[in-house]
Amino acid sequence: MELLATLEKAKPIAGGTDLIPLMREVEVEVEHLIDLGGIGELRFIEEEDGYIRIGATTTLSDLVDSTLIASKAPALWEAASSMGSVQIRNRGTIGGNLCNASPAADLAPPLIALGAEAEIRSVDEARWIPVEEVFAGPKVNSLAGDELLTSVRFKIPPRGAGSAFEKIGRRRGVTLALVNAAAYIELEGETCRSARIALGAVAERPLRLREAEGRLMGERVSEELIEEVSELCSKLVRPIDDVRASAWYRKEMSRVLSRKALLRAWRRCEV
Amino acid sequence: MTLRFKLNGEWIECEAEHNETLLDLLRERLGVKSVKRGCNVGECGACTVLLDGEPVNSCLVLAPLVEGRSVETLEGLRDKPVMRELIEAFVEDGAIQCGFCTPGMLISAYALLSRNPKPSEEEVRRAIAGNLCRCTGYVNIVKAILDASERLRGED
Repeated sequence: MELLATLEKAKPIAGGTDLIPLMREVEVEVEHLIDLGGIGELRFIEEEDGYIRIGATTTLSDLVDSTLIASKAPALWEAASSMGSVQIRNRGTIGGNLCNASPAADLAPPLIALGAEAEIRSVDEARWIPVEEVFAGPKVNSLAGDELLTSVRFKIPPRGAGSAFEKIGRRRGVTLALVNAAAYIELEGETCRSARIALGAVAERPLRLREAEGRLMGERVSEELIEEVSELCSKLVRPIDDVRASAWYRKEMSRVLSRKALLRAWRRCEV
Repeated sequence: MTLRFKLNGEWIECEAEHNETLLDLLRERLGVKSVKRGCNVGECGACTVLLDGEPVNSCLVLAPLVEGRSVETLEGLRDKPVMRELIEAFVEDGAIQCGFCTPGMLISAYALLSRNPKPSEEEVRRAIAGNLCRCTGYVNIVKAILDASERLRGED
């Protein structure tokens, strides 16, 4: 962190799976790269005080191999499994995925849906911010030049909670999301006690759809209600047309994917 | 800068630029030619090597990062029983057309069988999802990997 604070044009690098291609196209100019991959203390998945905490250089493969993540945070597990290839998952990290701040970052919707916070540190300060606030705009994160994202944490979902992730790309594997979505539902009896819905690749940054969440809170969950909430989700997103998909298609897929994610999250709630 | 790392089981010392990739280091300086440059952005898998036993795209790994670590390529793995069986199956099943993707395919298949000796077809397909074959010979490649795994388990 001292290096980050003192060197000019320095950039932290973790797995390099996003950054190296960008540097090659000279979209990113860097004088110094600070390798975080060698910092073993940042690579961990642990349970602590009712939280699951994940170090920034934990790889996507580490998430896929974790039975803790698979059982307690299936949305996050599904997202990590859907990303890149084996080779990419062995290098790409959770911190890199968030800090590159792609609007399509696959780990963002599940982490936002799980209510995760990111630990942001500089030499003399540490703070926790909601994961959605790591994203400032397309490919721009909100961290100051001397700050690092060092870990993320979220409360271990209680019994009666479920989460799920959905994604559509241009092909089945090794693909960038045209739209991705994650949902988290916590039930008390048949009533929704808490819900979070997040969608990616439908705005300048991953979106948390609080208005849609509000339609679920305190209500008896049913397929009809989920249908209605996912309609609302597609109205709340503001996607763009680009080479990968049209805005119209992304809106349609926002409805389809949020419905699928909500239905699966709901079915996962063990009451 | 001087780098020290384990290449195919032997510690070596070599010079490398700070901004050089492992792919360039292997091909251009060390003459390890089984490692192919395809897309150079981590899409095609032709440059796949094992880094500490796990498959990675060497075009996305900066050379200085392998300091003190182990890098394995087909040259070092070809005599291991699992790799020998894979190579034989690739030849017998016609899983090689132009051959450019073959070393990367073999490394990914080797990593899969080392971890999971009895993969399903779906697991094989997922394991090689990061290896493109532009001759599109996937059917025979998948068949060869499944055949090799059967033979290794003695179920010929």
